[in-house]
Amino acid sequence: MLIEQSAYSNRWRSVSPAAKGLFAACGFVAIFAAKSPLTATLVAGLLLLVTLIGAGITLGRYLRAAAPALFFLAMGSLSLAFAVDVGDNRPLLHLAPNGLAKLVEVGTRSLGALAALLFLVLTTPLVDLIALLRSLRTPELLLEIMVLCYRMLFVFSAAVHETWNAQSARLGYASARLTIRSLGGLTANLTLQVWQRAHALHLAAQARNNDGPLRFLEANFANTGRDCRVAGVAGAGLIALAWGLA
Amino acid sequence: MSNTLLELSHISYRYPDGSIGLDDCSLRIARGSRNVLIGANGSGKTTLFQHSNGLLRAQAGVVRYDGKEINYGRAGLRDLRGKVGMVFQNPDHQLFSASVQEDVSFGPLNLGLDMATVRQRVASSLQTVGMTEHADKAVHNLSFGQKKRVCIAGVLAMEPELLVLDEPMAGLDHAMQKELMAVLDGLHQRGITLLLATHNIDFAYRWAEHIHLMAAGRCTASLNAAELGEHATALTAVGLPLPEVIKLHRGLVERGMVPATPAPRCANSLLGLLTTLNIAKEIP
Repeated sequence: MLIEQSAYSNRWRSVSPAAKGLFAACGFVAIFAAKSPLTATLVAGLLLLVTLIGAGITLGRYLRAAAPALFFLAMGSLSLAFAVDVGDNRPLLHLAPNGLAKLVEVGTRSLGALAALLFLVLTTPLVDLIALLRSLRTPELLLEIMVLCYRMLFVFSAAVHETWNAQSARLGYASARLTIRSLGGLTANLTLQVWQRAHALHLAAQARNNDGPLRFLEANFANTGRDCRVAGVAGAGLIALAWGLA
Repeated sequence: MSNTLLELSHISYRYPDGSIGLDDCSLRIARGSRNVLIGANGSGKTTLFQHSNGLLRAQAGVVRYDGKEINYGRAGLRDLRGKVGMVFQNPDHQLFSASVQEDVSFGPLNLGLDMATVRQRVASSLQTVGMTEHADKAVHNLSFGQKKRVCIAGVLAMEPELLVLDEPMAGLDHAMQKELMAVLDGLHQRGITLLLATHNIDFAYRWAEHIHLMAAGRCTASLNAAELGEHATALTAVGLPLPEVIKLHRGLVERGMVPATPAPRCANSLLGLLTTLNIAKEIP
């Protein structure tokens, strides 16, 4: 929801998703072009600033959106830095050879890639991203699955919320034992709802003459050409900076 | 061109679990008319609607559209569903695209129209239901009433001749109901035949030209709405009362305060009548 809200309310909502995708892609290239951790950190910092200052995303919202990814990144990086030595006695945790260097290198590159990805998802609603992927000739089947999953995500989160409230109102989560029982009921109820809603959507699609692939209107952005040129120049600058500093 | 647009003749349908959906049900819908299907829950309204669009196939009886028996082949259904648009009761059962504009475009693209025509139809239908400014919004960010409007726009974009709406007023507040009625009146003026299901006899009497009563999978009566007062027995048989305005008007007629004809169709018309007779003060 946090990402969704930012994507719809940011300053660059009306900028062509193709331009934002291009800039994010350039961000990825710049990160891979960066040879030193310092350069990668600089590129990540620039991407962060563009997202905060350019698109007007607040720092608090950015950090909250990044928190889960940062947690996994920290866990993954730490596992690179340390090694477990299973010797004669008991397992021993110690710093791996070149562990810190690996941690810094992988960590900063991953931070940069995360910043590029966050730039894209915090400024572009998924509906626009799907339209962008469609224009890039992504296989229809994948896009249909994306569309349905995206829509169903909200339908089912509403169903979970309603069922959870209905159970809570009748003390369904008043104790650990009741919680386990209620969660079982919630799961069973959702299983049935998945089937019923899938059937209902199938009927609705048939009623509107669908007999095969799901077809939708292509998004139309007035200044796509201009936006892409600006994004291309900015992205090339980012790559040149990373390359030059390398 | 036949004056009867849709005709169900002695239709029977039983669901796989054995429950009866329709039982020897017959119904005629006249071209360009406003129709209400009214009956208790489980009386077969939704099942009947699904027969009108070819979603269900009658196990006995015949469904005719524009005088011709429905062809359940691929091309036949494609033709029928382009002419009979169906709006489901629960918008979350109908909307599955990510954005408003995408969902509305789904039907016309299925008709095989080119992108420019689809774009024009999407814009026009969103304007008809007053949702133009929400075109780029994600569906899940809309209110219940807005979702209902998008459902209607999605069907309107296919430019149907007959629009079937399953309990369109369910879950809407008074203001949204009024707005939806204005949308439906606009569609009727454009020549679209309307058939909608409701539980509200007062609304049915006020709005419809024809009222079809449903009970136990059967259409028990098709009444001219203007003559509804004469069919109290038919209404009682399906558990419905006479509309309040008819009862009130009759009470006033008995006291000699207003003439028996014309019979007002809603409280506002009755107040208007009283005002013209100098019995009530002018309605604000």
